[in-house]
Amino acid sequence: MKKIFFLLIVCSLLISSKTFGQQGSYFSAQYAVSFGSGDLTNYISKTSWRGALIEYRAAVRSNLLVGIDLGWNVFYEKKDFDTYTMDTRSLSGVQYRYQNVVPVLVAFDYLISSTNALKPYVGLGLGTMYSERATDMNLYRLIENTWHFALKGELGMLYQISYNSSVKFAAKYYTGFKTAIMDSQGYFSLSLGMAWDL
Amino acid sequence: MKKKVFVYLGLIIALGACYPGGAEYYSDIDATYTDYDDQFDFASRGTYSIPDSIVKIEGDLEEGEEPEYVKEPYNTQMLSKIRDNMSAYGWTRVDDPAEADLVLFPAAWTNTSVYYWYDYWCWYYPYYCGWGWGYPSVSSYTTGTLVMTLIADGDDYIEPTRVWTGVINGLLSGSYNATRVNKAIDQAFEQSPYLKTN
Repeated sequence: MKKIFFLLIVCSLLISSKTFGQQGSYFSAQYAVSFGSGDLTNYISKTSWRGALIEYRAAVRSNLLVGIDLGWNVFYEKKDFDTYTMDTRSLSGVQYRYQNVVPVLVAFDYLISSTNALKPYVGLGLGTMYSERATDMNLYRLIENTWHFALKGELGMLYQISYNSSVKFAAKYYTGFKTAIMDSQGYFSLSLGMAWDL
Repeated sequence: MKKKVFVYLGLIIALGACYPGGAEYYSDIDATYTDYDDQFDFASRGTYSIPDSIVKIEGDLEEGEEPEYVKEPYNTQMLSKIRDNMSAYGWTRVDDPAEADLVLFPAAWTNTSVYYWYDYWCWYYPYYCGWGWGYPSVSSYTTGTLVMTLIADGDDYIEPTRVWTGVINGLLSGSYNATRVNKAIDQAFEQSPYLKTN
């Protein structure tokens, strides 16, 4: 029931007034570079250069936008030859580690200034994050996957470059809460892309 | 605008692969596994015996049938490497297994896996898919495994018991690669320092 109530609020916000400057809503696509933290960086310490996200936002007040984020980040690292020991057993070899992270969030952005071409904003997101972790060693692949409850904090800016498009730059931090399968997974992400008014 | 969206969606897809990178060389696949009985006191022993041929396991033997052995010079090369490592850890080789504290049994086998699929042309001509027409695409790989087992009997055990196992496994590259095999045998002993008697 709570879920239905929440969805109704979101839907009503999405179809309500359009007061984001001249634009009621926009679609954005961005490239993202991400840096793991906590358990994620213990598993893969390398920066993720493979990442993208698409976003939709609709203005519900002059300074408030609500929408949806869909992201995809691929973390990868080749671990040099090493020995992994568990009780009396030891296994040596090269490991290839992969982690795919897909956040799907309802997002809220608050525009600090909505009148100039440059529109800085702060944002929050909540939803879910799919994590798939694969470890290749020898000819075997060990896969763990889970869905986390996820939160996102964001600081960014839109810079209008034409009557219906803007450059979007954002710094975000995602946290996927601990599940029975995986510890909490967090990463910091810098994204750059375009936003088009709809 | 739509074109731009498709360009960006294309970019997201092109960013690729959920599993980038991966093994480039045969040696990247090599793995060494060891396990031991932590109740066994290796340091108080000092002699071992080892057969002068490595059994090649190729299936069930009929009664009275002689097993296959690893061909020369590979047999001697591997045995020499094993003996060198045992010697470096302070073990003295004796000819009669009845007089030895431990017996080291080496064995080897290869395993070929064949895989094939029929639907690889679907991207071009979907009409064929699912009808069983066309030729399958076939590929295969062969792995080689060497197992070294240290067996104890006598006062400590009623029946001969495995107190150490070392397994090396890798993808065969078409010809015997002494460097890879020697390195893997060395690694099995390096990650088993509890075998030291000196």
